Amino acid sequence: MRWLILCLLGLFAVAAALAVGPAGVPLRELAGSGIVWDLRAPRAVLGFLVGGSLAVAGVGLQAVVRNPLADPFLLGLSGGAGLGAVVAIALDVSGPWAVPLAAFAGALLALVLVYRMGHVGGSGLDPRILLLGGVAVGAFAAAVTTAIVSLAEATALRNAFLWLWGGLSGASWDTVLVLAIYAPIPLVIIAAAARPLDLMTLGEEPARYLGADVEAVKRRVYVAASLLTAASVAVSGVIGFVGLIVPHVGRLVWGQRHRTLLPAAFLSGGTLLVLADTLARTVVAPRELPVGIVTALVGVPLFALLLRRWTIA
Amino acid sequence: MRRWAHRTHLAGLLALAVAACARGERAPADGPIAVTDDAGRTVALAAPAHRIVSLLPSFTEILFAIGAGDRVAGRTTWCDYPPEAREIPSVGDGIPPNVEAVAARRPDLVVVYRSGPNVTAAEQLERLGISTVLFDLNRLEDLGPVIRRLGVLTGRRAPADSLAHVMDSLASEPPAPSPQSLVFIVWDNPPIVIGGGSYLDRLAALAGARNVFHDIGSPSAQVSIETIAARDPDFVAVLADTARPPAYATRREWRAVRAVRQGRFLYLPGTLFGRPSPRAALAVREFRRLLEVAQ
Repeated sequence: MRWLILCLLGLFAVAAALAVGPAGVPLRELAGSGIVWDLRAPRAVLGFLVGGSLAVAGVGLQAVVRNPLADPFLLGLSGGAGLGAVVAIALDVSGPWAVPLAAFAGALLALVLVYRMGHVGGSGLDPRILLLGGVAVGAFAAAVTTAIVSLAEATALRNAFLWLWGGLSGASWDTVLVLAIYAPIPLVIIAAAARPLDLMTLGEEPARYLGADVEAVKRRVYVAASLLTAASVAVSGVIGFVGLIVPHVGRLVWGQRHRTLLPAAFLSGGTLLVLADTLARTVVAPRELPVGIVTALVGVPLFALLLRRWTIA
Repeated sequence: MRRWAHRTHLAGLLALAVAACARGERAPADGPIAVTDDAGRTVALAAPAHRIVSLLPSFTEILFAIGAGDRVAGRTTWCDYPPEAREIPSVGDGIPPNVEAVAARRPDLVVVYRSGPNVTAAEQLERLGISTVLFDLNRLEDLGPVIRRLGVLTGRRAPADSLAHVMDSLASEPPAPSPQSLVFIVWDNPPIVIGGGSYLDRLAALAGARNVFHDIGSPSAQVSIETIAARDPDFVAVLADTARPPAYATRREWRAVRAVRQGRFLYLPGTLFGRPSPRAALAVREFRRLLEVAQ
């Protein structure tokens, strides 16, 4: 029943994303319309992939660092991506893919730094150091970014921040193709760790006694989740709340078992982002809202409602 | 025919503007040297300002245009017109103003664009005993009032009044017939366009091109590519000093916009079009020429 509702919601979100938009394409002409085929459809698919990826990354990270506040962007990746984008704009690297690629490179650099820091304590990845390292690397990257923006004379740089707040306006079949080839690999890596992630909710020690290779799982899930996040930020900027709230809602509705939780999070993350983007495109037309604002406006009340219902029951 | 009439009128305005700038020193200012700025403050000076720091390129241009250029003692890094302005010491980019650098120029008047951080800077300067005036300058119709008040503060009322008159008549001119439409794209991801409440929108209207986002009241706004494609402008206007298509032009999602697909870009040089300035009439003429060439 829950699955049926979720699937219907997902279908509804995608259908709505295709059918409505500021251009007002008549329903009869939807299938043949260039606007629907070239703009709305890739945007809906990209939104679904990004939303789903962020939600799965959130589930994985929250399980690995065992901290309910963990968010894919808490680990320094958004700072790294922003720095990459600003450097690309400051150096006037041309080419249609320069900024997304530079952002991806920046996010990877941040990932490597944080990962190295996480090993500082000795043999294994320490979740607390991972979190602190993420915050520190993110803050440092943000400081360097701000320094570049305030010292450089290019007006374009001030807009780099807009890019970082992002949204799905960069969606095209090219972007969809890139993400559709890339994302399944880390998604499968996280999904394959479903069982050990279940065990790790009991704590690292008990998980180890129950036969989980805790260190390997932590490493794999952390890197896979970060790679998903890095790709998302490269194609759509920083879209907040999806990766934080969807995992919690998923746990409230589907329980702690990752085998069901992960696919449910993917579907609900995708649905939420597609719905939010449709609202962002249409409610203030001809203007558009940054989609991160809508995910927060839609996600937070929903979250509060669920939290209330489940804690009272 | 209408178009021609329009053009002669513009030429007349240009001539007037030049005459206003050329007119020599007049008798000393009559009446008290006091104005009310756009923050509602009264700014009074004992004598016409003779060491002025201008914190906006438009103000620098105006000061030079009313013949007070030799009194500009400090400018921002962005102030690049007229060329003489570059020889004046810079006090930084002005966003936000570096109060110490401004004070170090020992000005008796600082001219500041009214915005949140600038209001704070103005208060700090006032505390140092430096008169500061805050002006709005976003649209063509803001130019006249700003020019007039700068004329009072510098004791250059006569040239300022005639220049302001020229700007006012340009601002009140009915828009030229617009056979063509365009969109100003300031940034591509997310797409930011120029709306109706802006200087550029008005320039386009006077040059005979309709801004397809005229209905958006604010100076700029985020829109979706879909909206741009649906409104189907004939041209994409970009503020750029080189005639190089923007990087996004080759991205697939942007090909949905006809003007992008056909490469119909209008490159507007930033120093002439990027800010409201006394050269507005010149900008309109240049705009019209670019539209004609592009056709």
